[in-house]
Amino acid sequence: MRTPVIRTERLIKRFGPFTALNGIDLEVYAGEVHALLGDNGAGKSTLIRLLSGVHQPTEGQIYVDGEPVSFRSPRDASKAGIGTVYQDLALNPLMSVTRNFFMGRELYTGPRPFGALRMAEMDRITHDEMIKIGIDVSDPQQAVGTMSGGQRQTLAIARAIYFGAKVLILDEPTSALGQKQQMEVLKTMMRVRARGDIAIIFITHNEVHSKLVADRFTFLALGEVIGKGSRDELAGEDIRHLMAGGVEMRDLEKELADIQAM
Amino acid sequence: MTQTQAAAGRRETDRLNKGGTLRRLSRRPEIGAFAVMVLVVAAIAIASGGTAFNPLGLKNNMAVIAQFGIIATAACLLMIAGEFDLSIGSMIGFAGMSMTMMLKWGLPFGLGEATPFTAFALTLVMTLGIGWLIGTIVVRSGLSSFIVTLAFLFFLRGVTEVAFRVINNSTQISGLPDYKQTSWFADLFGGQTFGWFYDAWFWLGGNINRAGAQWVTGFDARVMWWIVIALAAWFVLARTQAGNWIFATGDNRESARANGVPVNKVRIALFMFTAFAATIFAACQVFETNTADASKGNLKELEAIAIAVVGGTLMTGGFGSVLGVVFGAITFGLVANAVFFIPAIDGSYYRVFVGAVLLLAVFLNENLRKRITGGL
Ligand SMILES: Nc1ncnc2c1ncn2[C@@H]1O[C@H](COP(=O)(O)OP(=O)(O)O)[C@@H](O)[C@H]1O
Ligand SMILES: [Mg+2]
Repeated sequence: MRTPVIRTERLIKRFGPFTALNGIDLEVYAGEVHALLGDNGAGKSTLIRLLSGVHQPTEGQIYVDGEPVSFRSPRDASKAGIGTVYQDLALNPLMSVTRNFFMGRELYTGPRPFGALRMAEMDRITHDEMIKIGIDVSDPQQAVGTMSGGQRQTLAIARAIYFGAKVLILDEPTSALGQKQQMEVLKTMMRVRARGDIAIIFITHNEVHSKLVADRFTFLALGEVIGKGSRDELAGEDIRHLMAGGVEMRDLEKELADIQAM
Repeated sequence: MTQTQAAAGRRETDRLNKGGTLRRLSRRPEIGAFAVMVLVVAAIAIASGGTAFNPLGLKNNMAVIAQFGIIATAACLLMIAGEFDLSIGSMIGFAGMSMTMMLKWGLPFGLGEATPFTAFALTLVMTLGIGWLIGTIVVRSGLSSFIVTLAFLFFLRGVTEVAFRVINNSTQISGLPDYKQTSWFADLFGGQTFGWFYDAWFWLGGNINRAGAQWVTGFDARVMWWIVIALAAWFVLARTQAGNWIFATGDNRESARANGVPVNKVRIALFMFTAFAATIFAACQVFETNTADASKGNLKELEAIAIAVVGGTLMTGGFGSVLGVVFGAITFGLVANAVFFIPAIDGSYYRVFVGAVLLLAVFLNENLRKRITGGL
């Protein structure tokens, strides 16, 4: 059997008296999109903050490639190959695509930090890496502010991959975008998936999106896993049921009908 | 469903009109400053009947331009990183006081007589230390640099005045020996540079005084300092890793931090750089005139910021250029000095001009920012 790139074992996170996560088991495999679904407050963001080193688990263990790890900072996680693309994307709108791509990790010749930037080389790499996942930035010197939301997502993803991410965590990457750009991001995800060596954790509210791209699903509700499985194992009806935190659709319909009848 | 051919083949990237060279130029930060400079140079050349650019006129104008340029370059870099320094003017006064006091009364702690070098070096250690302190307070406290440096504006000016009165019984020092005659180090700040330029001018048949000999022999040394500082700042900002960090820090500090840019170090270093520029400014003044007084550098911080803004630096950080500051310094220097070449005008028109141009520049910059970021 394959080793998961990331595996968590009975992960618990408490904030004081409040238990945000209560024993999460998760397996994420390379070359797969793993959808992490659940209602607001279910604990999705908390879980990825544990995986990306922002918070430390109260109990439980994270494994990367089968080895136990403990991240003390986002830097540790990033060194271990976990690339997190947050909603704000950590991009600077006034700076060029290339300057953003290499922000903090510039290529230079000479003594740090006054070494001369190898701009032509960085332009070329940026252009090539963006093409690989589907966007042709004809002018890498254009400001990121001129790019659409979907293009910015792609830039942030390309950057994470280029700098060694083998697990890509995308926190609601489609939520702030228009229809067409949402599709662009989903396509980008599929191109990354097609490489085969990168695992994607895809956090979303959107059942349709998750069904379009995900190979595997984990449903969270109130800090616990209430269901998981591969695409084949889960029937369509199950997903909607689990998304709603385990509430039966029929119950909901009845409740709504009751209110209407009043 | 009907779909036109054009729409089917179009992609997101096609929507950005990259335009021609002209459009591209119009997105550069220094373009407005360049236009204003050309206008001002032409207007002053005509109104002064050419005297503003004769050998002596050029020397005098360049002296003022270089003064502005030195501090505005540093202010510009700091502003690109998203911070202000209102203490530049007081730092100039403090540094001038410190150097002249040591030269007159000897080094502190009974270390004996001061030379121009030791007076300068010890002063620089102090001003860099204060710059470091200002930067550290700003990054540690999270307070606005506007307030922190405003405090240092008052504090340093006060310290300068008190030190003058207590030690010197007067708020000015004069009658120091002419160090630039005896010390190469003092000459580096107070002497002349680019003599070859005026030699060549004379050799070509110009630059002749009434007696028929060579008239002007060189620019003030500060012109050389300005050129060195501006070149270094341009290189660092546009071409180095540190430059990318400066832009990143001012554009969006949190995303810069998330990508591993040492945003605190960048800001502290730039507060030290403005302190350095103020010290160079003061040293040039001290070693040229061999005097100092407690009001030196007054309001210079505001002129430096104004020049940086006119040069295309955004008040909100993340964008600007050293070349724009060069154009801005030339513009401001010429207008500040115009009264000497065009006797008919009132010197206070300088401030009227600064106010008007500043307002215009802020509008232009805001428009530029929207064009850069607002595109789609
Ligand atoms: N730093 C924190 N301190 C206290 N409670 C927190 C903290 N972070 C998250 N929580 C709580 O944990 C629960 C799960 O939050 P979150 O992981 O953001 O959910 P989701 O991303 O699924 O909407 C919420 O009830 C939230 O209030
Ligand atoms: Mg969330």
